[in-house]
Amino acid sequence: MIEIKNLTKNYGKGESRFKALDNVSVCIKDGEFVVILGASGSGKSTFLNVISGLETIDSGSVAYDGRQLEAMNEKELTKFRRENTAYIFQQYYLLPHLTVEKNIKLGAELDNNKDFFPLIEAIGLAEKRKKFPAELSGGEQQRVAIARALAKNPKVLFLDEPTGALDESTGRLVLDYIIQLQANRGFTMIMVTHNANIAETADRIIRMNSGKIVGITENTHKKTAYEIGW
Amino acid sequence: MIVSLKDSVKLFGISIMTCCAVTVCNLFLNYYLDLAAVAHLIDNPAAQKFYDAQLMTAKVVCAVSGGCLAATTVVMLFFYIKHYIDSHSREIGVLKALGYSDLKIAKGFFVFGASVLVGCLAGCLLSFILMPRFYELQNADGYLPDMAIRVHWTLLVFLVLLPASVFGLIAVGYSVLKLNQPCVNLLKGIVKTKGKSRDSKDKKSFLEDMRSSTLRSRKTLVFFIVFSSFCFSSMIQMSASMKDLASNMMGLMIFIIGVVLAFTTLYIAVSSVIRSNQKNITMMRVFGYDSADCKRSVLDGYRPAAYIGFVLGSVYQYALLKVMVSIVFADIEGMPDYKFDFPICFITLGVFIVVYEGIMFAYGQSMKKIPLKQIMSE
Repeated sequence: MIEIKNLTKNYGKGESRFKALDNVSVCIKDGEFVVILGASGSGKSTFLNVISGLETIDSGSVAYDGRQLEAMNEKELTKFRRENTAYIFQQYYLLPHLTVEKNIKLGAELDNNKDFFPLIEAIGLAEKRKKFPAELSGGEQQRVAIARALAKNPKVLFLDEPTGALDESTGRLVLDYIIQLQANRGFTMIMVTHNANIAETADRIIRMNSGKIVGITENTHKKTAYEIGW
Repeated sequence: MIVSLKDSVKLFGISIMTCCAVTVCNLFLNYYLDLAAVAHLIDNPAAQKFYDAQLMTAKVVCAVSGGCLAATTVVMLFFYIKHYIDSHSREIGVLKALGYSDLKIAKGFFVFGASVLVGCLAGCLLSFILMPRFYELQNADGYLPDMAIRVHWTLLVFLVLLPASVFGLIAVGYSVLKLNQPCVNLLKGIVKTKGKSRDSKDKKSFLEDMRSSTLRSRKTLVFFIVFSSFCFSSMIQMSASMKDLASNMMGLMIFIIGVVLAFTTLYIAVSSVIRSNQKNITMMRVFGYDSADCKRSVLDGYRPAAYIGFVLGSVYQYALLKVMVSIVFADIEGMPDYKFDFPICFITLGVFIVVYEGIMFAYGQSMKKIPLKQIMSE
């Protein structure tokens, strides 16, 4: 369970100071798939950064099963990330000088996962495991990023616009793959997107605007990646 | 357009390098020319031998230090240009997409010659400040007639204007070659990976894989690490060993040049390693690797190169001094035989270990300060 209470985050100083997050509170249950939906500048990415421990908290609290994130020092935060979380970014951020296999090893080794080849097969890149990121398409690169994240068996997976840089068919393919993995493995998944259609695949939708939560919707009619509009 | 004069300020390593080269070369060449002008006044065999040895020293020192530093400057310039193009690939890609030719963009890199010009001018100035004392020490035994210091304008042309222009042109030429790649690669910042991947049937860990791939992909940095250790080792040992062979001033000069070059190249190399691996380091830290892991995978691979550089420097300084004593100064009376100085070598090695490991430790600590959020906001 992730408990977020009265979270506030400011940027800038003096007159240029602005509130990126304004008194945000919400609870996310274990194994839940939550989408944070909002337009550009709504504070959704800041929210993701802060609750994942990539950014410091100005005030408020974030607790993972009772463990306060804001009370952790850098060393404890590193250990926390190592044991609990993984990330998938819009721009993939694969290590360019390492092959597919070695990029996935980045995540696998943190969980002492030596048997990650089935994961490479599952993402359909067994034939290309010796290729470098520059030799892959966007969709393939994102699939490597997904495998890298899942290879460490995270308890919580954070995704920042994971299909934002992909065309429709590849985007649907990647999204479907992520959703199925989440359903099978049961980890908590928090995804940021500006695409309201994608939000229809989640268990719950948190809408943000101007740094505030403006609505939380339980999604009783979950759709698959192939049923939504794009 | 893309490259401004302000960018050439960042090439301070090149300025320091050329300053050292021009200081040494101008001192010895000016002395060489002034010495040649008084050749007709030498009237005894002892003075003639001393005169010949002085001329030979001037030639050897200029060729060795000037040639070596010029070659290193070219490599450093190439490294800077490649790094600049890599880090500004999107802006350059946009210009190419708009229709600018490679040559038109590359012309902007001529301003990199300004860093050479600044270094050469500083070196010239420094050498003229040192010159009176240098002349005095070179003729301390009074074998040669008194010489006045004359300013040789040809030297200013060959040691200041010509290098600045040539390096500017080299920068343009190399940039044209580096810019000759598909526009889309520049726009997307696609990193070229050469050759096939190595089969990883071996049981290497991710950190070991990362370390070897970092080394393979940044061979220029390996050169700089070897070179900086080489400078540190050779120049410091040489300056200490020269106490019986040459003046204190000469020893001090070589010592200062060695230390300055070593620190400059080491600083540039290590800071470039960190800068160019910033995204990789951030990604590793986002996934939960600590800064010690990042340091191990990114910086520790360079350690063998550093110690190889140290050994090469020790061998080089021994060979150079041995050749100078046995061949160049063979006819000079009272010149002691030169033997490898083991105590000096071990002391230098001790100092080198402290300095190198200290710098690596400091940079390892600096990795902690790389903000994780940066990668998310791109």
